[in-house]
Amino acid sequence: MVLTETASRAVTDRLLGSVTADDGVAFVESEDYSHLRFAANTFLTSGRREGVNARVTVWIGKRRGSASTTDLSDAALKQAVEDAQTFAKLAPVDVEYLPSLAQQTYKPGQGWVDATSRIDLPDRAHQISDAIAQSEKGGIIGAGFHQVGLLARASATMHGNFNYERGSLVSLKMTARTPDGSGSGYFGRNHFDVARLDTARVAREAIRRASDSRGARMLPAGTYPVVLEAQAVADLLDSGGMSFDARNADEGRSAFSLPGGATRVGTRLFDPRINIVSDPWRPELSKFTVSDEGVPAETTYLVRNGMVETLRYSRYWAQQKNKKPSGPFAFILESSTPGSSVDAMIKTAKRALLVARFFYIRTVDPRSASVTGLTRDGVWYIENGEIKYPVRNFRFNQSIVLMLAPGNVDLIGVPERVASSEGGRDPLFVPALRLNAFNFTSQSDAV
Amino acid sequence: MIRREFLNVASTALGTVGLAPRMLEREAAAAAEVDAAKSGLADVALAAAKRLGASYADIRINRYRSESITTREQQVQNVARNQDFGFGVRVLVKGTWGFAASSIVTADEIRRVTQAAVDIARANSAFQRKRVTLAPAARVEANWKSAFEKDPFDVPLDIKIQFLLTLNGAAMKTAGVSFVNSSMVWVNEQRFLATSDGSRIEQYIIRGLPQFNVTAVSRQTGDFQTRRSLGGPQARGYEYIEKYPWRAEAQQAAEEAVAKLKAKSVEPGRYDLVIHPTNLWLTIHESAGHATELDRALWWEADYAGTSFLTPDKAGKLRFGSPLVNIVADRVQPTALATVAYDDDGVPAQRWYLVKDGVFVDWQTTRDLAPLIGRKKSYGCLNADSWRNVAFPRMPNVSLEPGAQDTSLDELVAGVEKGILIYGDGSWSIDQQRYNFQFGGQTFWEISKGKVAGMMRDVAYQSRSTDFWGACDGLGGRSTYQLNGSFVDGKGEPGQVGVVSHGCPVARFRQINVLNTSVSMT
Repeated sequence: MVLTETASRAVTDRLLGSVTADDGVAFVESEDYSHLRFAANTFLTSGRREGVNARVTVWIGKRRGSASTTDLSDAALKQAVEDAQTFAKLAPVDVEYLPSLAQQTYKPGQGWVDATSRIDLPDRAHQISDAIAQSEKGGIIGAGFHQVGLLARASATMHGNFNYERGSLVSLKMTARTPDGSGSGYFGRNHFDVARLDTARVAREAIRRASDSRGARMLPAGTYPVVLEAQAVADLLDSGGMSFDARNADEGRSAFSLPGGATRVGTRLFDPRINIVSDPWRPELSKFTVSDEGVPAETTYLVRNGMVETLRYSRYWAQQKNKKPSGPFAFILESSTPGSSVDAMIKTAKRALLVARFFYIRTVDPRSASVTGLTRDGVWYIENGEIKYPVRNFRFNQSIVLMLAPGNVDLIGVPERVASSEGGRDPLFVPALRLNAFNFTSQSDAV
Repeated sequence: MIRREFLNVASTALGTVGLAPRMLEREAAAAAEVDAAKSGLADVALAAAKRLGASYADIRINRYRSESITTREQQVQNVARNQDFGFGVRVLVKGTWGFAASSIVTADEIRRVTQAAVDIARANSAFQRKRVTLAPAARVEANWKSAFEKDPFDVPLDIKIQFLLTLNGAAMKTAGVSFVNSSMVWVNEQRFLATSDGSRIEQYIIRGLPQFNVTAVSRQTGDFQTRRSLGGPQARGYEYIEKYPWRAEAQQAAEEAVAKLKAKSVEPGRYDLVIHPTNLWLTIHESAGHATELDRALWWEADYAGTSFLTPDKAGKLRFGSPLVNIVADRVQPTALATVAYDDDGVPAQRWYLVKDGVFVDWQTTRDLAPLIGRKKSYGCLNADSWRNVAFPRMPNVSLEPGAQDTSLDELVAGVEKGILIYGDGSWSIDQQRYNFQFGGQTFWEISKGKVAGMMRDVAYQSRSTDFWGACDGLGGRSTYQLNGSFVDGKGEPGQVGVVSHGCPVARFRQINVLNTSVSMT
């Protein structure tokens, strides 16, 4: 079990109580994590880990030192502070030093549910066994991953700031394959509330997609209109193509840089319906509300009605540019108009490819946030409002900025909580999209 | 699958800054005290596991030290030093795995955690479909150190910082260079493994990753280009800093970053490629290294990294590449990142062929994988990246052997009418069965009529694994062979990062598809 607020504060108090340096920040994190992995319709590995880490950073004459320990005894914490102060005396001047934060006002998040912390082992084994049984019944080979993560973290400064928050998360993702290897489907969801994770649905959707993707036909590579499911959109947007980092943009090395040293803030870079918002309190998202630097979250429009409204600032860069520093990023992409369902996108499409998921996405040209990657676990050809047949996978090369540009976005769906299938647990809140053009550059034999 | 977020991972490591000598002594004393007790603590776990009904158990009590220094231009951005100590107990109950781990290394905690591991295995065993069986492993008692000359943790912090700032200064002297980022990461793994088969193994491993990235920005055009270091991570000590020509390479990188701004953008099409080891290692990793993992072939990785086009029936039959292509798995090669004496199953490190004379011949295996294809022994590929994570199949060093003749890079270039010479790894991507890949690079040089003609840019080559290796018609000799590799090879759920090297000579490939990756924002 993770540390309570009282227990966490006791640790940070003890750390800061030993500090004799000019400035200092204390942190404590505790984790309780367990997993069950299955493949080939049988359990593979399953485990649990528990850990705590206390860390202190101090500054002596703007020279910084840090130390950490997993031992919360008085002696160990005092030793950590002494070590940090010794390191500070050895270190060069930290030219980006800013005084630690004074008391901040934090609006708490809602990403903790007690029931999620009480999932028991036999129940979990039973649920995953049911998912495997669904696979067996459908003549499908299932592989997947169930995890439960509990995390609590606190930090305190010598200038009087303190924050504590904790989060719970449970997730199940599953890949279903037909035994002959001709079909493969994927579905995954996570939530902070175990009651909101429908494990049966995850298995059902993965199995359905595997069955529906059998017998895929090869289509030529080229530019196609596409319907991207929310999973595929999350995979692309989590790929690192668009970090909205202000410093990189100001330094001329991002897709948000302009010739002459300016940035694209104030330009209509995206479809006028698109808003990109950071809001950790969005009920279905409910993410941490304090950044690693201790900066409180704020609901922030990075893109409003297609216009780049602001970028994201570290404390140091914000001070250099006279801006507000940014809290943690909770990625939401939504439309300012009512969203369409995926079914409606399909029914009104003359010709398009429906894409369930993308894989192995990497940047090829940071100047345009261009990435390459592949479709995976489901591509279908749509014609005159109907799914006609499954299609073999493609490699794509596509600028994310141009993908969302005015003129290329046809329909925008209703946002949903979905995590990148490659990136891990951190969820985004994004919709399905129907796009006029998407660049598939070669065919892949992979299923 | 090489992780893209390495820099983030590195910067969020639990940090401490440079140790004073007295503190190093204290660390060493504490470590020695615990080391002496490890065997007794292991007995506690193994006895408890046996009493609770485990048919097999092991305990890893591991200490990981890491140090990272990151700089830009003439600033030190971060100095972090971390010690991470804990244990993990793995048990097999009724043919079902259970695992639990903790950072509190005491006998009481070991008893509690062993009970937890057994509870997990027992709960899951009620629903288990296929019972795990293990290939046998000999009982071993061993103590081993990796090949390094100078322990980087003994080198004073100011010397390391000065090295990086001097490197940055050398690059910044070139007109047109805008930014330089550099860093060095050192890792020391102190592994202890005890198994219920009676093995007791201690290993001490040093690895390092120095790197830099030079950026040239044209404010007028809005263009920017980068050139990253070519020297990759190695299982070497601080002598790697002292012996590799880092400063000369930084100056060269600076000139090349600026030159890339005005280089000729490639015309897409088919080209003969001459690929330097600093680029080819990553292609080997993705198309041959991961493709020959038996857990992928058996669909154990189907939910994450994927499966493999090398299905179990293809060993000894499938033509993987041209007859020149010999690819070897190797966990004994000195200075290679995945080199150990024993894996986390307690199986000795080995060397064996994966591809011989162009034919795919064998797999990477562990004790629980080998019996599934009728093998009596494991090749020793089990590894965990931490005490807190359960060990699972990981890639050994996988390398392309050099040609029999000592052919030079120039001789390979001389045989090309229209082609591209590629240095350094860039963007990388491959599908989930390892067919279709696309790789970029750091610098690209046009080859015309057998000679290097000038710099190109915006190049990526895209191919199908067997087509690509089948198109290999020239290998450099031993003198062109180099080791490169990755500190952040991602695989598994929960995700773990592996370290792995890939050695190869310069090599030539005929008529490979080349893309232009440049995209106009206007």
